Amino acid sequence: MEVQAGQEHEARAALRESAPFRDASERLLERIAAVARLVRVEQGARIYGAGEVADDLYIVASGRVEHVFKREVGAREALKRIGPGGVFGWAGLLLGQSARLASATAVEPATLLRIPAEDLVKILESEPVEGAAVMDRFGQMIQRDFTVPTFLAQVRRLSGAPLTEEMSRFSLTMYRISLWVKSPRPYLMMIGFAIFLGTWYLAVEVWRLPRFRDMPGLTVVVKEWLSPNPTYGLSVYTAEYYQHIWVSIWRVTQAFFLATALGVPLGLLMGWSPRFKEYVFPIFEMLRPIPILAWVPLAIVMFIATESAVIFLAFLASFFATALNTMLGVQSIDESYVRAAHCLGAKRWQVFRHVIIPGALPFIFTGLQISIGVCWFSLVAAEMVSGQYGLGYVINTSYVMVRYPTIIIGMATLGIVGYATSALVRIAGDYLMQWRVRELALSEG
Amino acid sequence: MAAGGARRINARVVTHGLVSILIFLVLWEVGSRSKVWLAWDAFGPLRDLIAAFGLKTHYLPWIGAVPAPSAVFKAWMGVIDQAGYWQSWYMSFQRVLGGFVAAMLIGIPYGLMLAVSRTAHGINFPVFESLRPIPPLAWVPASIIFWPTQELAIMFITFLGAFYTIVINVVGGAKSIDGRFFQAAQSMGASKWDIFKRIVLPGTLPSIMVGSAVGMGITWEVVVAAEMISGGGSQMGGSGGGLGFFIWNSYVGGSYEQIVVGMISIGIAGYVSSELLRSLGTYVTPWLRVR
Amino acid sequence: MEMTKSSGAEVKTRGHILIEDVVKVYDPEGAAVMAVDHCSLEIEAGEICMIVGPSGCGKTTLLNAIAGFHEITSGRILLDGEVLCSAQKPRAEPGPDRIVVFQNGALFPWKTNLENVVFGPVMQGRMTKAEALDRGRAMMADAGLAGVEHNYPGEVSSGMRRRVEIVRALMNNPAVLLLDEPYRALDSLTKSVMHEALLEIYYKNKVTIFFITHDLEEAIFLGHRVAIMTTRPCKPKKLLTVDIPHPRDYSVLTSKRFRELMQETSEAVHEEARKAFQAGEREG
Repeated sequence: MEVQAGQEHEARAALRESAPFRDASERLLERIAAVARLVRVEQGARIYGAGEVADDLYIVASGRVEHVFKREVGAREALKRIGPGGVFGWAGLLLGQSARLASATAVEPATLLRIPAEDLVKILESEPVEGAAVMDRFGQMIQRDFTVPTFLAQVRRLSGAPLTEEMSRFSLTMYRISLWVKSPRPYLMMIGFAIFLGTWYLAVEVWRLPRFRDMPGLTVVVKEWLSPNPTYGLSVYTAEYYQHIWVSIWRVTQAFFLATALGVPLGLLMGWSPRFKEYVFPIFEMLRPIPILAWVPLAIVMFIATESAVIFLAFLASFFATALNTMLGVQSIDESYVRAAHCLGAKRWQVFRHVIIPGALPFIFTGLQISIGVCWFSLVAAEMVSGQYGLGYVINTSYVMVRYPTIIIGMATLGIVGYATSALVRIAGDYLMQWRVRELALSEG
Repeated sequence: MAAGGARRINARVVTHGLVSILIFLVLWEVGSRSKVWLAWDAFGPLRDLIAAFGLKTHYLPWIGAVPAPSAVFKAWMGVIDQAGYWQSWYMSFQRVLGGFVAAMLIGIPYGLMLAVSRTAHGINFPVFESLRPIPPLAWVPASIIFWPTQELAIMFITFLGAFYTIVINVVGGAKSIDGRFFQAAQSMGASKWDIFKRIVLPGTLPSIMVGSAVGMGITWEVVVAAEMISGGGSQMGGSGGGLGFFIWNSYVGGSYEQIVVGMISIGIAGYVSSELLRSLGTYVTPWLRVR
Repeated sequence: MEMTKSSGAEVKTRGHILIEDVVKVYDPEGAAVMAVDHCSLEIEAGEICMIVGPSGCGKTTLLNAIAGFHEITSGRILLDGEVLCSAQKPRAEPGPDRIVVFQNGALFPWKTNLENVVFGPVMQGRMTKAEALDRGRAMMADAGLAGVEHNYPGEVSSGMRRRVEIVRALMNNPAVLLLDEPYRALDSLTKSVMHEALLEIYYKNKVTIFFITHDLEEAIFLGHRVAIMTTRPCKPKKLLTVDIPHPRDYSVLTSKRFRELMQETSEAVHEEARKAFQAGEREG
């Protein structure tokens, strides 16, 4: 490695090329160039390795460097080729990092501007406004160009400088959305829907294929759904439509909450206490294989009022799913956590509250998502067989009364509402389990 | 820590299980006979309590209307030597098998395709996910309109029920294959087809088996529902048959004991098929059996 | 069996472990498997005792017996003269006097680092929550962990997690720290840093350390004594006293005495490793 002194001009040019310093004042660049050094490296030279002390920052003046993240960093793309104007070796600027996150090797002969990180930070700290802005831009550049998870890429807060704002929720979402838009995914998705809807439209209304002829066509359904005066009485403009939706949602809510209130504690107990499980599980397993709809006549006999019967059926399905998944969740908790708690002096009920319940929560929520799906499934079936009002009822009667487009409206509505409730459960889970969201974010890619 | 200890523990578990089942049956029996004993003077206060809830007092709510286990057992014995009963079993099994096999035959390759090709995944998966929240039974009317025969319509519904579960499990299973297996294969010079045959397929097999076991459960749900709906509950007419129809028929005909007989029969049928699948699963994935 | 020492010197009298003729027989599917074979070992209070042996030889079983997770078949284990477990009372009670640091880490992922650290005192009710938080913050700062109190374990590096786990243990003033190959999953660069960190922590809090490893270098670098175990069934094969004085730093690794000690013991270790390899031992 050759050191070339007195190349102030070249140093400042290199700084200008890079993203964080592009708009910096001449004075700032001068100060930084004073502590920086230009070094030449040969092709194949090893600049630094992962895990070493992160003391210097590098800007590529010319040539090309290969930058490979170590696996634990969780970068989406571990390998990156950096050309002129690129910045690397910035680990020292991050919160809580003092070791290199990656290894860097020159793949072409290169000239690098080497800046000691601590000196850089001191200079930035002494520049009240500009300093914070430059740090900010470092943060943005790192997140934008290096695909590391956001939580890792938080730059240090300069002491004495005005607090730069942490990446807010909103900008995080915006960042994620921008990543998504840049990927091929949304376009493929549109192709998929186009194919699906296109085939439906063509098969039914244009080509009039044999089996498809009698089906309600896409345009017919859409027109009906959005018409202020629907032929068959149900559209987004009719009050009746929302009545049915509300009735179904209300039933599902009752059934689901009841099932969760009973199923989670039962599952927790069955997983936690082998004795309890020995007594209760056999009965549970005897009743579970009976399909929910096989209960319909019995439910009608038991409850007389169809409303309670319908809710009971939805409840039953949901209950079994929740209890079972909760039990499995408790059983899946790593034994080490329980042992550690015992070592630390926790009593039985403390272990239950501080280890078992939080530990089982991820599984419980997976179970709840399954459970709400099952709840809808049973509700719709029950409504089709013996209900008044509700989306299942709508679908059934529409068929009977030969109102075919309404069938599809009912189905599509069910799909949307079902998805929405499932998403609600998932969001509730994410909210309760912040730690998991972050852990998963760090391991993405 | 001798072998006897392990056997002792198992015996205890079994006894506990049997005891609780026995208690369950006894409570059930007593509860359903409440028409008889609730009228006795001693239970005056209990009747008042029930009345306070605004319910009828000549039997216990809910459980009082259920037929007693003893009556159910008697009815079952009565039905066991009727050909019609076993015919129902046969028809239900037929539908389950048909729908399930179709779901496997189409679902597994479809799932593998989605797992292997990013493009295919990007195109198909969003549509797949949008249609998934629609319960299979909501497809019944559309299915009946579309398919020429009732039988095909029902089988399509059972197919749908299992199809979703299987695909999701296959995709999930393929995704979770450790990336290093792929790298190892590539470094040993394996072609894409080799990798598919020797890594993706066996690696996904456990998830396929789990997915099919769950899918089997759903299939039974759907078959029973479809049988009840098409054979009984609504005017969708056509031939009935099958255990679901058996139950509905019993209800309509007023023999409530037979309802429970039907329920238990389906429970057994469903359990047996799931267990068969699970054993098949362990047979097909011997490497998971160690430990 | 109390440790008697002339008064005056700052002597650690807690944490004296006596393992007396312990036997542990498993019974998987009817075939009796002896995991520990008449093992006897005495560990002084405040000593760092390294247990070295090939994978699957039964050393974790010993640790689990001391910690109270497994039963022993016969023999006794005593801590400061009190019987932890014996043939009559085969399983010890797990407790905060012997805290385990687990191989794959057992920090509760759903609690922040600080909440983890104060878990012990809070559960036992020995301090108020405020006191515990203060002490926790201080101990974390001491161990170089300032700044990550409010992160979740999943958000920090594995080296940091290990250190947090050790601080969590030390908050309870244990007599013994039981470490089950805690640095096994770390890369060698992080490992050497962790070793120095552990020694630093040890010099500030003299606990008895019972450290299981398969890495001979790690053992000689850290330990006062190294016990080399045979393959299953496990039994001390060779006991080595490392006479390099504490405090030690990484320069020890290249010292002459270190190399000599390595030479003395590596043959014994290698022999057992070869036996284990041939027997096809599965990871314990």
